[in-house]
Amino acid sequence: MTGEPKPALLSLGGVGKLYGGVVALRDVDFEVREGDVLALCGDNGAGKSTLVKIISGAEAPSSGELRLKGERVSFASPHDALMKGVATIYQDLALAPRLSIWENVFMGAELRRGGPLKLLDKRRMAAEARRYLERLSVRIDDMNRPVEGLSGGQRQAVAISRALLWNADVIVMDEPTAALGVKETAQVLDLIHRLKAEGKTIVLISHSMADVVSVATRVVILKAGGKVADRPIEGLTPNDLRQMIMNDPVLA
Amino acid sequence: MKTIIGTYGTAIAGAAIIIFFVLFAPRFASGPNIVNVLKDTSFLAILALGFTLALIVSELDLSIAEVSSLSAVICGALVHGGTSPAVAVAVALLVGVAAGAFNGVGVTRLRIPSLIMTLGTAAIAKGLGFMITQGVGFVGRWPSSFTGLSRGDLGGVPYLVIWMAIAGAAAYLLVNWTRTGAHMVATGEAVEAARLAGVATARMKLLGLTLSGGLGGVTAVLLAANLSSAAPNMVGDYFLYAIAAVLLGMTMFKPGHANVLGTLYAALVLKVLGNGLVLMGAPYYWQDMILGLIIIASVAFSASVLKKVAFTV
Repeated sequence: MTGEPKPALLSLGGVGKLYGGVVALRDVDFEVREGDVLALCGDNGAGKSTLVKIISGAEAPSSGELRLKGERVSFASPHDALMKGVATIYQDLALAPRLSIWENVFMGAELRRGGPLKLLDKRRMAAEARRYLERLSVRIDDMNRPVEGLSGGQRQAVAISRALLWNADVIVMDEPTAALGVKETAQVLDLIHRLKAEGKTIVLISHSMADVVSVATRVVILKAGGKVADRPIEGLTPNDLRQMIMNDPVLA
Repeated sequence: MKTIIGTYGTAIAGAAIIIFFVLFAPRFASGPNIVNVLKDTSFLAILALGFTLALIVSELDLSIAEVSSLSAVICGALVHGGTSPAVAVAVALLVGVAAGAFNGVGVTRLRIPSLIMTLGTAAIAKGLGFMITQGVGFVGRWPSSFTGLSRGDLGGVPYLVIWMAIAGAAAYLLVNWTRTGAHMVATGEAVEAARLAGVATARMKLLGLTLSGGLGGVTAVLLAANLSSAAPNMVGDYFLYAIAAVLLGMTMFKPGHANVLGTLYAALVLKVLGNGLVLMGAPYYWQDMILGLIIIASVAFSASVLKKVAFTV
């Protein structure tokens, strides 16, 4: 068995999407293997958002198929995708700003104590939320703090903790650094490195070529709804990526 | 220090109001008056708990008072006509629950903003109440098995206060300690985030509004039993009080969040204020003006979700 490439965790085959008569995505295929950090790049309108919506379960493809661990799947909703193993961390993070850290991490998956009343086990949720954050090297003293008071990097860590809690096979991160400053961007990239070190599989959508070169293992480039490049990141500079996005795929 | 004032500031001010009237309002601190205030607080608190649960799922229930009145009128009509009190009570509660569910379905299925949906329901309930009574209330010597629900006491504690405590404890447990409650809160706080996390957000909104109607039914039964009468719009006087109680309650304990403890405490403060003002000889119309100010000031103070809810029409 040694030497054989790992099987694809998530694969797309001939995926297309039409909105009315407009082609948003045409015949896209690629594979995400276990441990990959696959960067999806492309200019605005290239089809990244549409692709994310399809992978996250927010929208169904008009054509083509998705396979998860070799099995053909279709996602009825983002929650369905989550249950099947694809967790998406959205641009706006989908957190409840005024609720506490542990309430956000455990939203929809609250832990309960035994007994007839099955009351919430708040202490355990707070303790486990802390453990998840520590796994990401994020230390916050008070798990009861509302997430609106956290830094962008810390909020991202809360959102990632939720994906870890669901034990997702694939974590999709949609523009995780788009709204962040330099320091927080570094924190988020560090989070991604940690996930990578844990062997987590990540699909990263980013406009920042520096981020992509820093954390990705592979890159897929979209242009006008089609795939124009799909290759390991090795040997590429941010400038190469920019060239590939803007020009014809000379380097692909 | 700042957080103590932010969290308990209005609660402390409320305590000051209570102490003020105890010290200065003539006859306020007498036994019968205290019992009277507590009983009146009970009706208000139970009704306001309903509004609280609706607001927790980020919906407004402006129909609480009219639905409760309708429920009371139907209960009264049945008791008055000789139906067994148990049946009358069950029907009254069912009317409240059904009206609440009607609101919930309108909001979740037809996507009508709750501000509009519940306003419509309020008008319908009001019309039905007048239709059933033809504008005249039911008054009579009703069986004590019915009136006994509200009259009497257990070791000096009025039954009404016990009902309030039970409703308050149940609501508190639901909201703060159950998974369903956590899902209601998540739905109210960030509906999209909750949906993505697998929370059945429409069902939670339906539940919040249904419970609101149901508590209107409970209030109706207790009021009708206490007064031994039922008339259209009989709960109307509690409407502004209930909203003020919830909004004032949002300024304390968990500032900015509709919360059960805040609602209960604010209901007591408001009823003490109303009663104390009357005892000190203030004209009755002061109460409305003060309630209005409290409503506005509470929302200004807590920069609440209510602004968000009310303006997403």
